Amino acid sequence: MARHFGVGSRLARGDGHGGSAIAQTLRFASVALYAWSFLRFAAGAAVIAALLLIATRVSAAEPKAGGTVTAIIQPEPVVLTSALNSAAPTGTVSGNIFDGLVDYDFDLKPRPALATSWETSADGKAITFHLRPGVTWHDGTPFTSADVKWTLENVWKKIHPRNQLTFAKVTEVETPDDLTVVLKLSQPSVAILSSVNSNGAQVLPKHLYEGTDVLNNPYNNKPVGTGPFVFKEWKKGEYIALERNPNYWDKPKPYLDRLIFRVIPDAAARAAAFEKGEVQYGVLSPVPLKDAKRLAELPTLKVETKGYEWLSPFLFIDLNVDNPQLKDVRVRRAIAHAIDKAALARIVWFGFGEPASSPVPSTLKAFHDPAAPAYAFDTKQAEALLDEAGFPRGAGGVRFTLNHDYIPYGDDYKRSAEFIKQALKRVGVEVNVRTQDVPTYTKRVYGDRDSDVALTWFAAFSDPQVGVTRVYNSASIGKNIPWTNGSGYRNPEVDALISSVQGEADPEKRVADFRKLQQIVLTDLPTIPLVELKFFTVHAAGLKDAVTTGDQVYGSLKNAWFETAPAQN
Amino acid sequence: MALLDFGAAVARRRPRAAADGLLVRLLARPSAVVGLALLAIVLVAAAGADRFFPEDPLAMVALPLLPPGEDPAFPLGTDMLGRDIAAGVFHGARVSLLIGVVATLVSLVIGVGIGALAGYYRGALDRALMRVTELFQTIPPFLFALAIVAVLQPSIPTIVGAIGVTSWPSLARLVRAEVLKLRTSEMVEASIALGAGDARIILRHILPNAAGPILVSASILVATAILTESSLAFLGLGDPNVVSWGGMVGAGREVLRTDWYVATLPGVAIVIAVLALNLLGDGLNDALDPRSGRR
Repeated sequence: MARHFGVGSRLARGDGHGGSAIAQTLRFASVALYAWSFLRFAAGAAVIAALLLIATRVSAAEPKAGGTVTAIIQPEPVVLTSALNSAAPTGTVSGNIFDGLVDYDFDLKPRPALATSWETSADGKAITFHLRPGVTWHDGTPFTSADVKWTLENVWKKIHPRNQLTFAKVTEVETPDDLTVVLKLSQPSVAILSSVNSNGAQVLPKHLYEGTDVLNNPYNNKPVGTGPFVFKEWKKGEYIALERNPNYWDKPKPYLDRLIFRVIPDAAARAAAFEKGEVQYGVLSPVPLKDAKRLAELPTLKVETKGYEWLSPFLFIDLNVDNPQLKDVRVRRAIAHAIDKAALARIVWFGFGEPASSPVPSTLKAFHDPAAPAYAFDTKQAEALLDEAGFPRGAGGVRFTLNHDYIPYGDDYKRSAEFIKQALKRVGVEVNVRTQDVPTYTKRVYGDRDSDVALTWFAAFSDPQVGVTRVYNSASIGKNIPWTNGSGYRNPEVDALISSVQGEADPEKRVADFRKLQQIVLTDLPTIPLVELKFFTVHAAGLKDAVTTGDQVYGSLKNAWFETAPAQN
Repeated sequence: MALLDFGAAVARRRPRAAADGLLVRLLARPSAVVGLALLAIVLVAAAGADRFFPEDPLAMVALPLLPPGEDPAFPLGTDMLGRDIAAGVFHGARVSLLIGVVATLVSLVIGVGIGALAGYYRGALDRALMRVTELFQTIPPFLFALAIVAVLQPSIPTIVGAIGVTSWPSLARLVRAEVLKLRTSEMVEASIALGAGDARIILRHILPNAAGPILVSASILVATAILTESSLAFLGLGDPNVVSWGGMVGAGREVLRTDWYVATLPGVAIVIAVLALNLLGDGLNDALDPRSGRR
């Protein structure tokens, strides 16, 4: 379910599927815009650069209050409440209006937010959150444990796609007083503490939601939170305006007066807007990858890959284990040997990624197993394995043909598919790349199981139980549940490990289980991890402390402040 | 002038003689000569693609984003994946011409068929066929083709089919008008008097005499089909397993600011091919129109 993240933003960056084809024709016009904006930019660039040079010399350590940040939101969200919709743009806006019980630092350790402290009972069957006193909702009503209890029981357990599983073991929520919440669990649920930020478990104001039709509550689109910014206005198709919350509990934050999220559908126009200084902040790779390098070299802008640690996104291929050739593990290993992951990361992803060795990304340091079986780029080894498996090169040097479906989220994924096609061709495996829209893709891979090699990306999240186990869990095979087990891999031992980590309290035991899981799935190789993706944030160089948490992509700009006011605003 | 009129009159009865005269008249027009010359370049590129670039044009052969002229082995540079742009342009000529010609043939079969039947039989059949034609005409052909390809998923046959199926209505109307005109001509009446069947009359007498306008239309249709395929590929609805000009432009769009040549060079190829066919079409139109000589 976590797959919803990033959907829109990839779409907007120039994908090739029919659904948004008309919107893409607009891109023709953007070429003219390019030229125009460049001229304008060139004229002012020298002056701005000179000013900034002076400004950076006298860097002030103390945050300064004031200023308006204009940010990119892409695509326009459908709703502004993350508790109901896990889509990326919703999370980016919503994280500024709501606080989480915690947020996560770059090492994914929870830091106090609405909860000042928390503890898990010795048997792991109770988690207690102590809430921050004196916090009020934007309408002045005090924030209490009743809000948490109500949201957990009525929203997280009933509506939120991932939380239905994460909080599944919660049997009862006790609120001994206004500032204490105790979750009673049927089994230990360690993963809960990895997903209680404003995106993973957003608390809604009970007094505005109780007794209403939650999904159609008008406050979903004019949210009332406790966060650093107050919702002001949403002009559809243009912008979402937030204003500073003067009563915010974490004084003197926030420093910014206003936060405007602008909707700019064209990727090239977004790059131009950054260059002109019209926007100062954008998450989830808001400009074309190649442009990022160019923008990073400008003194006015910074390109930052931190702030996505909580996501830990990774690119991989599912190999259909029911395919007559792919059912042989030697063929699957040959394919792994045939793909130069380092080149894929460097060439296709322009360095915005690292070669991946395991489905548990190395960013999850505790769980990642660096000793799991690895498959070095070695075409000779690949050919030897294919020969050994009984698929010699036939006419035209072709051993056999596979259909390859790639996730239609943008040109980066299409180029990845073309890269894989060429890589496999070198070892005699012909690849037929197929283009389709998202529903056709998910039905083909997760429903009809009619794909041989399927390329996609998942977010692993900070606990692999949330994002990784779904790749190998056999319960979801062929049921058309998108973003689950696409390879058709069934291994009772793996299924047992997956259910074991869900109810295991001992962190060391869980790590051991996850390492064992990695050993098995990297030996059997139903999926080949390819690249640990690095999304990036673009922000103005004068905007300081814009990226301060490991979940910044869906967090708030409460720490951000302007050292130098934006050149144009 | 009288001679030309005479020639046109002869052309009606003697298609072969007309063809000789046509070429002569075509070569007398500068635009047609330029069109033919450009088309020849495209044809040579398509025919010689395998000879000049025997490697797979989709193979990653060099450093990515090598500018033109940097490495003599890759005179037009390389794209984001390190594929040879020159190889792509040459092999792309094949795909573009193949799609252009085959889609036009599909369009010709449908358009000429419907136009001839409607014009020859008139009456209820004419009305029915023309309503169908109008139905197709109300849908913008590019969006229609886009929808078909999106539903059927992009591959060379679906792209060819989609372009063919959406581009015939204007041809059908043109053929119908020509057939209506010729239907009442003396030679057709003479054929009927001699007892010739409908099929024979349509195929042997009417259509050869309507060949001129159809030929002009067809040359423009080929150009349009190439453009449509390029646009589809630009929008990501090209066949990802073959190299095509539109696909190259679409892929290069992302790096337009930093590496202009990736999108521009295949774009120039599209311009050349489409310009060639349009100039040729204009030239044919002039050459086939007996009155144009007086201008």
